[in-house]
Amino acid sequence: MPHRLGAMQTLPSPMRRFQENDLVDYCIVGVGSAGGVLVQRLARAGFRVVALEAGPFWDTEKDWVSDEKGSHELYWNDLRITGGTDPLALGSNNCGKGVGGGSVHWAAFAPRFHPSDFRVYSEDGVGVDWPMSYWDLKPYYELLEREMPVAGPAWFPWGDPHGHPYGPHPLSGRGDVLVRGCTKLGIRSVAGGPVAILSASHGDRPHCIYRGFCIQGCKVGAKASTLITHVPNAISHGAEIRAHAMASRVSVRQDGRVDGVFYFDREGKEQFQRARAVIVSGYAIETPRLLLNSACPGHRQGLANSSGTLGKYLMAQAGNVVAGRFEELIRLYKAPPAHALSEEFYETDPRRGFARGFAIQTVGPLPVAFAKQMVAAMGAWGWGMRRVMMDYNHWSTLGVLGEILPWEDNCVELAEEKDQHGLPVAKVTFNLHDNDKKLIEFGKQKVMEIMWAAGAKQVVQESRFAHLVGAARMGRDPSTSVVDKFGRTHDIPNLFVCDGSILPTQGSANPGLTIQALAARTADYLIKQGDAIFFSNRRDLSEPGIRYDLSPPYTRFKGNPRIA
Amino acid sequence: MTFILTDTLEQSANRNLPAPLAETLTSALEHLREGCFQRSLCLIVATTSVASGLEVGYEHYKGSYSNPVMYTPVVLSGALAGAGLVGVFSRFAARTVLRWISIVTLADGVIGFFFHIRGIARKPGGWSLPVTNIVMGPPIFAPLLFGTSAYLGLMASYLRREEDLEPTVERVGAAIESESSGWRSDLRHGRFQKHLSALTVLWAFFSGFEALYSHYKSNFRFKAQWTPVLLAPLVMAAAVGAVRSRRIANTALPAVSALALADGAIGFYYHARGIVRRPGGIKKPLYNTLYGPPIFAPLLFAACGFLGLLASLLRRERR
Repeated sequence: MPHRLGAMQTLPSPMRRFQENDLVDYCIVGVGSAGGVLVQRLARAGFRVVALEAGPFWDTEKDWVSDEKGSHELYWNDLRITGGTDPLALGSNNCGKGVGGGSVHWAAFAPRFHPSDFRVYSEDGVGVDWPMSYWDLKPYYELLEREMPVAGPAWFPWGDPHGHPYGPHPLSGRGDVLVRGCTKLGIRSVAGGPVAILSASHGDRPHCIYRGFCIQGCKVGAKASTLITHVPNAISHGAEIRAHAMASRVSVRQDGRVDGVFYFDREGKEQFQRARAVIVSGYAIETPRLLLNSACPGHRQGLANSSGTLGKYLMAQAGNVVAGRFEELIRLYKAPPAHALSEEFYETDPRRGFARGFAIQTVGPLPVAFAKQMVAAMGAWGWGMRRVMMDYNHWSTLGVLGEILPWEDNCVELAEEKDQHGLPVAKVTFNLHDNDKKLIEFGKQKVMEIMWAAGAKQVVQESRFAHLVGAARMGRDPSTSVVDKFGRTHDIPNLFVCDGSILPTQGSANPGLTIQALAARTADYLIKQGDAIFFSNRRDLSEPGIRYDLSPPYTRFKGNPRIA
Repeated sequence: MTFILTDTLEQSANRNLPAPLAETLTSALEHLREGCFQRSLCLIVATTSVASGLEVGYEHYKGSYSNPVMYTPVVLSGALAGAGLVGVFSRFAARTVLRWISIVTLADGVIGFFFHIRGIARKPGGWSLPVTNIVMGPPIFAPLLFGTSAYLGLMASYLRREEDLEPTVERVGAAIESESSGWRSDLRHGRFQKHLSALTVLWAFFSGFEALYSHYKSNFRFKAQWTPVLLAPLVMAAAVGAVRSRRIANTALPAVSALALADGAIGFYYHARGIVRRPGGIKKPLYNTLYGPPIFAPLLFAACGFLGLLASLLRRERR
């Protein structure tokens, strides 16, 4: 039986396999949002690429179930230690394991960052500026919006106003609630996106059928994940995706350049993949963990950590969920969780008494997640919980997505504990600071106000966090950042980091689109530099110029879909 | 001497076409000019009502027929199609049944228009979010466009039949209708060019606006989606000119109307292709027609081109 990806796509077969001692051009660690795009671009440009993935290579028909509990293995469930004054819940919506990474269980909200997000320090005196501007990234946003592709309104009024390549999705009950509440209060909102879920068929992927299991892994193939958007094309162009390969350390040569990656294969045996350059795309916890675990003579504090900032400036977004009970039916389970939002409070407003802002988005917990939220939000338990859950179809939920600033004390370190391979696990410390607390309080109140305005009879809220970025941030100054604006580490010329961990600040936008856009930009840079990456220590920071000929098929709306 | 489209067409046909064809064309044009095309128009009414009935049938099915009033256009377009067919064979039916069913259907379109406006008002945000809710809500001008075939039916009911062009029959008919008022007599003799041009202005506006917002919804992904949006104002301008000037009615109006008609036909092909390209394609006809591009919508745009063309082949009112 062929390896199925969604309802209509199958994995190209056979996949190229490199021999044990083959020297490849790039070894990419982690095939998630960034890794998937990178491996596709580099393979298409003719490089020999191996991508290591700790988790399995999902066959969407065999491995995925449309069930909340049954989808638990999409997450990174290995041991991790969490701490700090406001510890993060790890192991669910903020990290993935398996080809496609977190993009197989993201809600696929795909807003762009605002131009102001790239100049947070200049404009608001907090956080840090990016080493690039919005306008450097904008063509990549536009390209990735077509590659995924993103469905949404033809006019998105915030930040740099733009439209979307696919039409908006119809609104579900909770989208109605958001739009109704916002309009009552005179707040602008958009309906039907931006979300990387197909509102019409695209190439060999069918349109969304609104069955509601987006974040349990979309078996339809309508939701974009790099597993179905970029990985098949990478394999067609000769890349190897090596699943069940848990990277343990990056190997450094005498001359200070890396020469490959040690990893544990499916049987737990340690293997070595030689490579002329290494890209780490393990996301905000595993990337710093791997680099810290790779400490060796000459790099006592971990690879690329001469600045001491590796693992620091970790960020999560405030993700408070506000739930409201309505007289009429809402049916939370229907339609994609992500399909309406307002970014009216995105930018800094001095009158609010804190820097930066937040977005208001629809969220759609299925019953198990909803029950957990109700335990936290209203202490529902026993009979009380049953009463609440009987009303599940009358509840609507909206989420705050608030920007938490990068702080040095929010960090990823190595713990004493070891995982099944004997590698020290990550210890994540997270504390909220004054600005963050004010922002969360304001955002929470505002969303509750919207919920009341929409006509809720009862409103409760649960504090939680969403997304993880930072911990290997990019910057111009090698003494305060880990990588430069193309993801190349300041310390080692052929070691790159490309994933959410290089974000210096995070805005109040879901990071998925930005991570993929950054990956495409890094890939263009690597392709432009060519062999210089492998043989030269010279750091050329000139802009690569965007390439439009490396996109997966169907990006230009050409070609007939295969009809099953 | 003013350029008269029908005269030129007749001359050109006589010169260039073989005799039987030229005669057919000349006679058809004469029938049009004289208002003697009741049976043909009845046939057109019957076919267009079937198309608009199917369109409204599945569009309202998508809305689950949540309001019983949503059945009325479906039932009425069936009735109108039947009346049109009967009108082909019976002069009496064409003047009575077809006329009354057409009037009721037109009224239904106007009522539907108000229901659709209310439907948009009932969307979250209502008319405070006009763009969002026109795009996401019920199609605002669709009920009025649904009235196209009813309007044609109404006009057909006042026309003379093809056989009335014969001089003997004509004299008898004239005796019967001597008492009929000015506009009725104008209609009967094909003198309603200005009237039909004015109608074309309205219809081009409605269908152009429908095309504008529904293509805007998908952000004009295909360049062809701009064509009805750009053509509609041209048709409107030509039709306004046609109301005021006979010259424009015989030159610009037929030219842009023919373009609109062709554009509608091409759009119909594109929409049909869009449906076939959805997963499942023609194996899932109902589902894909429901959720794919509206299959008959481009024909509504073609219909306004048809109205303009028809207007250009008629005679002007006497006043």
